[in-house]
Amino acid sequence: MATSQNSSGPPDLDSSSPSDQSACSRSSNRSLRVAEIERRKNEAEDPFVLALKYFSDVEAGTPVTGNDDVERNLVAVERVAYSKGLPPEAISIMLEFAMSLRMGTSPCVRVLKCLIPATVVPQEAVVRAVVWLCVGKIPLSTQVLFIKWVLTMFDMIDAKDQLHSIYGFLFSFVTEENLCPYICHLLYLLTRKESVRLFRVRKLLDLQSKMGRQPFLMHLLSLYKVFCPELVTLSLPSRMKAGFRNHNSQWKSALIAVQKKNSFQVTSSVSLTVRLKDKTNPRKRKHNHLEVPALSSAVNTQTNPSSSRKLVPLVQLHSFSLLLENLHHIELPAQMGSLLGSSLALQYLDCVQDESAFLRLNFWLGHALHEEFLFCSSGVSQNSEEVLQFLDRLLSSQHFLQEGFSSTEAFLYKFLNIWDGSLLRPQILGMLSNIPVVPSSCIRQLLFEPLMQLFFTSTLFFKCGLIECLNSMLLKWLTWHSVYALEDGLDISLNSHTSINMTLSGFKDSLMELVHFVGRLASVGLQIEGCHSLLLSFILDFYETVCDMFLKYGLPLVVMPPAGVFYPALFATDPVSVDRLAHIMYRYKVNLMSAKTQEKQTEQAFHISRQTYREFNHYLVVMVNCLWNSKMFQPGMGVEMEEELLVSSKVPQYWSSFDFIHHPAFLSYAVDFHHKCWPGSRNVDFNSIKHPKPWGWYLEYLYAQGFEGLKQFVQSNISRRSTAGDGQGDGLSADQR
Amino acid sequence: MERHSSVAETPVNSVMVQRRSGSKSFRQSYRSCVGAASHLGYTPGLTTRRLTTSRRAPRSRTVTESVNPEQLSLLVKKEWQLSYVTPLHHFRHTQLRSYSRQLLAFIVAEKQQGLAVALEGAESSLKVVFSVVEGMATTDDDADTVLIQIHSKSVFASQDDPRRLVWSGWLTCINGSPDYVRSLPKDFVCLPLLCSSGAQWLTSLVKSWLERAFDCCIGSLDINSVNLQWLAALWTNCHPESNIGQLKLMWTLPVDPPLEIAFTVHPQDAWELWSSMRGQLQEEEQENEGVGEGAGDKDSVDIDEVTRFIDGLKNHFYRHFRLDLSAGTLSQVSTALGTAKHSGRIKISSSSYMNATLMLLTECALLKMPV
Repeated sequence: MATSQNSSGPPDLDSSSPSDQSACSRSSNRSLRVAEIERRKNEAEDPFVLALKYFSDVEAGTPVTGNDDVERNLVAVERVAYSKGLPPEAISIMLEFAMSLRMGTSPCVRVLKCLIPATVVPQEAVVRAVVWLCVGKIPLSTQVLFIKWVLTMFDMIDAKDQLHSIYGFLFSFVTEENLCPYICHLLYLLTRKESVRLFRVRKLLDLQSKMGRQPFLMHLLSLYKVFCPELVTLSLPSRMKAGFRNHNSQWKSALIAVQKKNSFQVTSSVSLTVRLKDKTNPRKRKHNHLEVPALSSAVNTQTNPSSSRKLVPLVQLHSFSLLLENLHHIELPAQMGSLLGSSLALQYLDCVQDESAFLRLNFWLGHALHEEFLFCSSGVSQNSEEVLQFLDRLLSSQHFLQEGFSSTEAFLYKFLNIWDGSLLRPQILGMLSNIPVVPSSCIRQLLFEPLMQLFFTSTLFFKCGLIECLNSMLLKWLTWHSVYALEDGLDISLNSHTSINMTLSGFKDSLMELVHFVGRLASVGLQIEGCHSLLLSFILDFYETVCDMFLKYGLPLVVMPPAGVFYPALFATDPVSVDRLAHIMYRYKVNLMSAKTQEKQTEQAFHISRQTYREFNHYLVVMVNCLWNSKMFQPGMGVEMEEELLVSSKVPQYWSSFDFIHHPAFLSYAVDFHHKCWPGSRNVDFNSIKHPKPWGWYLEYLYAQGFEGLKQFVQSNISRRSTAGDGQGDGLSADQR
Repeated sequence: MERHSSVAETPVNSVMVQRRSGSKSFRQSYRSCVGAASHLGYTPGLTTRRLTTSRRAPRSRTVTESVNPEQLSLLVKKEWQLSYVTPLHHFRHTQLRSYSRQLLAFIVAEKQQGLAVALEGAESSLKVVFSVVEGMATTDDDADTVLIQIHSKSVFASQDDPRRLVWSGWLTCINGSPDYVRSLPKDFVCLPLLCSSGAQWLTSLVKSWLERAFDCCIGSLDINSVNLQWLAALWTNCHPESNIGQLKLMWTLPVDPPLEIAFTVHPQDAWELWSSMRGQLQEEEQENEGVGEGAGDKDSVDIDEVTRFIDGLKNHFYRHFRLDLSAGTLSQVSTALGTAKHSGRIKISSSSYMNATLMLLTECALLKMPV
């Protein structure tokens, strides 16, 4: 079957080598003109184009053995053929080269084997090849190969009229014993009523008497009898096995691969792509649940006759403007699954909000996923390429709609229990991050338990991936909330008696469960991985989302990180983590402050618990004491140790070992600063930085290194005496509630 | 047969679960927080909870009385390959005549693919008939069973040769979970079980036509060992009323090369083992809760009884042959009432008890539903 996608390109030999392809896609943002120039340039140097030129110009009698040019060019053609298929012109050139035996018979077979068309086979090429066949120089085995090739590609030949007119020439080959079965098959495909002549019938009967009742002769005769029963008086068995044997095994797999590849190339474009379905025999269709059905209009549209409006099938709309014009009378396709490839159609679906349509799509999608991953015992690996493309397409659709399909949700809950955590990880995690809010009553069973098992038994990279996925899940839940809270009247300040407020609290419960869950994962994960800074970075990403839930998403919920996250971040050896923690603490403060004022103003109790304030203040005191006041390990702080133990560790001035100067993350900055401040001095005396003036400079120096979080933290929490009098500021402002 | 079609009606769900117009999944989640009983909102991961642990004992009734015996004879004594079907969109029991035409045209078109000529007479050699089998449904929610038959005549056969039945299949729903069926929107018809028999290529053609015409998905349905055990028990339970012949069980043991063990039990022995299990359990029940309903009920069979029954058989086998069957899987069960295979093939030999079997299979099919 011809695939229509390639018709977009110019008809010459474009898109030939992989490099050319990627270059084109990379330059898509640049102007078309530049891209065009680049394309032409690439084309001129393209080994494939050069190879075709070589084969069309090569002189007869050029030796093959020891000829590197032939080998090189042939390899170039083969590479393109097996990766994307040959464009029609290339088919013509190569077929002409092969059948003319310009370089003898040995390259001929090799060329025939790689003649995989990308779109169609030009009829003229086939006719010319038959002409060469009539010349009769070609070895018999090669002739058979050629006829087999024609049979395989028969459906891809762009027209059949000239082939019908050389019926007689083809018929003359039936006398060739080895060629006869294949020629009969070809004739069977080409026979029309007018081709049935008495002399042909006689010839066939003659052959039959010589060769016996061969099935291929019988089939051809039976077809003749169907057309002209008066000419074929022979009695044929009433039941015959239909069809000829398939001879396409040589090219079949390559052809299918090429067709698949070509049909998937267009899917991501934002247009109403009308995909032609690969023509596959239903008998062979066993394991392709993942095939997106073709977009076709419905047959059984028994719309109620009262609606006199004319419906336009989606399949007829090829442009966005057409879609807009017909927006109110569009008929949905027969199979909703076909919409998955087309973002515009999905958007239309989203805007009409047809529940049945969504359900149909979900049935199809869920069926495909279940069959492929859950019911299929043979495993997924065998067609992983296809699976990958399917899932990517699904993900891009979900991304486009900004929500997950409920069938993927249902599928994931089952699949997570059997997932090994590595199979198609990016895709599965991507789907997972799209699932809608899970009720808090079952979130543990459905989500947390399988994820926990996976988290603790997998590598660092899986842990990072999962935290990232949960972060994006949280972001999506919050975004949905901020959008639909307004739309559905789920105003946060509604009084507490309506059921709607109940659902808000349900939502908050789910969210809280999720945040606590990630807190637990993060605490243990950091311990297992030895506070790996990569993992820490993903965890801090998550808390950057959490700390802003109130201000950014209007959700009256503040959850502090657990100690297992806070302290590793505070004592991290890289300054970036400490800086980000400072930023997060700053945002917590801003959120809590504004929640407090709002609570006072409206008097309507949404309530952030005292416990949260207490936790926050505790962390704040720890941070300020530790970084600023050099009062580490004081009683009442989170980290307490016995005096004797600390003394016996022989760390001098242990109480200041985590201030801005001695903190392992900032020590190098302190040294550098000291060098810049006192270039002459050999001895590095950190205490000199602690004097008020250099301290101020030191802070400025740190801010200048890009530690914005520290700056925000210090400026909002520590009031330095403006007179810069007696040393570093020490007050905590306004947070003791 | 088509005379039925005007009478049969696609069941209209009288109790529609109230839905909000928007089907945003986000809002569904909100809904499920409040506990609205919509199947879209319900948490699909909990499907295991839907497994039935107790069933009614089969009784020989209904089907033989309510279904046209001619039609009934088409359904029994034939081996059917099972498939599950997601709910059919826009299926109308009143349109069967038109479906016959469409399916015929589809088959003819598919047959001619790859041929450059139109085979004349192909259309006239085939005949497709859709018909309603009335009286199969056990509840009001069940849609009527639809039977599809394809008759064919060879191209070279003479005019008056009768057409042979080359393919038949039926879509059914017997006592389908009312929660599920009712939660579907009005334009869906739930006929989750497809039994087909005939040439493979026709099966795939009919399936792909169904998929295209009603936007459904069809997948193969196998009968797992638990369900085979159920069938063994339910069939044995019928023995006093209708002789079950012999209870034949087939186990596959995972050894190399695979070992198949056929285990044939005399019907009377099987029945005695079964009734002793039931008696035993019922006594226990009564001790526990006095005269209770539930599993002690004469009409209902409990999963515990089934497991014990099969365990009893396995133990017996172990005593004699020192082979522990619990390492293998039950792959086939057959009695005079029917044969069921793990691969999803079933033959119902006696129409009297077919309802119970079909109820079980409908349930299996519904469990396969993706949403």
